[in-house]
Amino acid sequence: MKTGETGVLTTTLENALTWGRSNSLWPLTLGLACCAIEMMAIQASKLDISRFGSEIFRNSPRQSDLMIVSGTVTKKMAPRIRRVYDEMPYPKYVIAMGVCVIQGGPYARGYSVVLGVDRVVPVDVYVPGCPPTPEALTYGIITLQKKIRGETDR
Amino acid sequence: MVDIISESIGKDNRKIILVSLENLIPFMKEMRSKGFDHLSLVTAVDRKDSIDVVYHLHSMERNEYVVVKVNTKNSVVPSVTGIWPSANWDEREQYDLVGVKFDGHPNLKRLFLPESWVGHPLRKDYDLSKVQYINMDEDGEDYVTFDAGDGW
Repeated sequence: MKTGETGVLTTTLENALTWGRSNSLWPLTLGLACCAIEMMAIQASKLDISRFGSEIFRNSPRQSDLMIVSGTVTKKMAPRIRRVYDEMPYPKYVIAMGVCVIQGGPYARGYSVVLGVDRVVPVDVYVPGCPPTPEALTYGIITLQKKIRGETDR
Repeated sequence: MVDIISESIGKDNRKIILVSLENLIPFMKEMRSKGFDHLSLVTAVDRKDSIDVVYHLHSMERNEYVVVKVNTKNSVVPSVTGIWPSANWDEREQYDLVGVKFDGHPNLKRLFLPESWVGHPLRKDYDLSKVQYINMDEDGEDYVTFDAGDGW
């Protein structure tokens, strides 16, 4: 009910900061393989992640908060991922999307694939699947938001 | 008309022609003059004692494919970059992964892996137990290391 009176809300500075951070997670454009196609779908109109504050995919690591590693991480790509991660400003978060990124997937016994991107950068949320559906990735972003706000203990 | 060794029809109704190593360049020139203006694919098969190099030729005008195969014992094959310039990267890829040396190639370097990578990964005798890792130095150049703590 709107009364026209000015409301007062008390909170801690920490809560206000995490609330702001969790609701403005701008992802980095980092499509490595086929999972990138599903990653593109989350910013399309059906599952618009702008609704959750991930307004736009930034092309520069300097302007992004969230790195969605979408696709097989090859050994040649790993130093580049590390360099891009180092260029992102704090606070920064990483989502490992797909089973290749989590532990190598079907290429785990090959010669060219890193067995998990958590050997390269620290990972906050793992989204399994081959590839994960856009819904699963959206759920991963919501899980990350909860994690930033301290609402989950995992 | 250049001599061929054998001719057969593949499962996808493409003509498969096997030619000898010394007849490859004259035969390819003849195919080019017959209208096969597009080299669709170059690939190689490791037969343990020898290597098959397979060329998929395509005619844009007639939409027709022909597969040309050549067998080599010492993994050296004459380059077809003089006939189809697009063979440049295809042959570099086969040099990188299978280790076929293309005689007369203008720039025979590895296409995907760093230059210091040991061995050719799609060979049957490639040693998978010796894991190789890649890292990048200050200048952005890749280098290969066997130390898991140094690279990824």
